[in-house]
Amino acid sequence: MRSFVPITIDSTWVAVDMATVREIGGPLTWIALPTATAALPGVAAWRGRAIAVADLAAVLGAGDRLSPPTGRVRTLYLQQGASTLAVPVDAVREPLTIADSDIRPPRARTESFCTGEVDVEGHTTLVVDLGAIVDSQRAVVAGGLH
Amino acid sequence: MVHVDDPRGRWAVSASEVLRILPAVEWRGAPPIDLLAALGPLGGRARRVLVLRGVHGREIALVAAGALAVGEVDPHDVLPLPSVLAAAAPQVSAIIVASDASLSLLIEPSAVISSSASVVGEKLCPSHS
Repeated sequence: MRSFVPITIDSTWVAVDMATVREIGGPLTWIALPTATAALPGVAAWRGRAIAVADLAAVLGAGDRLSPPTGRVRTLYLQQGASTLAVPVDAVREPLTIADSDIRPPRARTESFCTGEVDVEGHTTLVVDLGAIVDSQRAVVAGGLH
Repeated sequence: MVHVDDPRGRWAVSASEVLRILPAVEWRGAPPIDLLAALGPLGGRARRVLVLRGVHGREIALVAAGALAVGEVDPHDVLPLPSVLAAAAPQVSAIIVASDASLSLLIEPSAVISSSASVVGEKLCPSHS
C-alpha cells in the first residue's frame, strides 16, 4: 500500500507520492530564470532558501504554462532527494492509500516520470515521479554545457 | 545594489561592479547585453545601460529596461540558487527577497563578463566558425 496526494493541472489528474510532500500552501510568488527550462522555469523563496519551481503543465503538456510572478491556486512543496520543488497546481484532493496491485502501467504516456495510472474519483490519474523530472533536468543542463 | 525594475523580471547587481550608468544611446562599445532576452522582447521601453568592467580593461554594458534604484540589501534576504538550477543559470547567483516578498534575480557579473568575452572571441576568430 502506498499513499498519494491527487492534484489537478487544468483537467489532468496527477498523483504524487505522499512521502515527498513537505507542505501544501496557497499561491506561489516566483521569478523566472532567463536560461531555465520549461520544466523548471524559475525559483521561489521557501523557509529561508531558494527552491526550484516545477511547471507540471509544461511537463505534461496540460493547460497553460506558469507565468510569473504568481503561480496557481495551490502549491505543493515536495522533497526529491536533496532538491525541494515548489509545484503550483489548480487543486489538491484528499490523500488516499492505494494498493500496489491497483496501479496499472501507464497507457497513454511513455515518459520516465509517469510510473503508473490509477482511478481516482472516476478520473484516470497519472502517478508521477517528480524525482525523474529533476534527474532529467540535470541531464538537459549537463547536455547543454557540453 | 543597483536594482533594475524590468517588467520581464526584476534584477540587481552589486553597485561595486557598476562603473557608470548611461542612456543607451550614449553607449559606444559593443552591443549591450540583454540579460532577460529569453523572457521576452524589450519593446519600446526607454533604456539605459549599466556599464561593468570586463576582461582586459574592456567595458561591457547591460541593458537596464525599467526604473533604477540603488539600495542596501540585508544579506539574509539573499538566497543562493538551488543546485538543480545553478548550472542552468550561471549568470544568476541568487534571488533577493524584498520586504513585500517580491523577488529579484541577483546577477553574477563574472559569469556575464565571461560569456561576453567568449562571444567577442568567436567574432575575432572567424576560422573557427
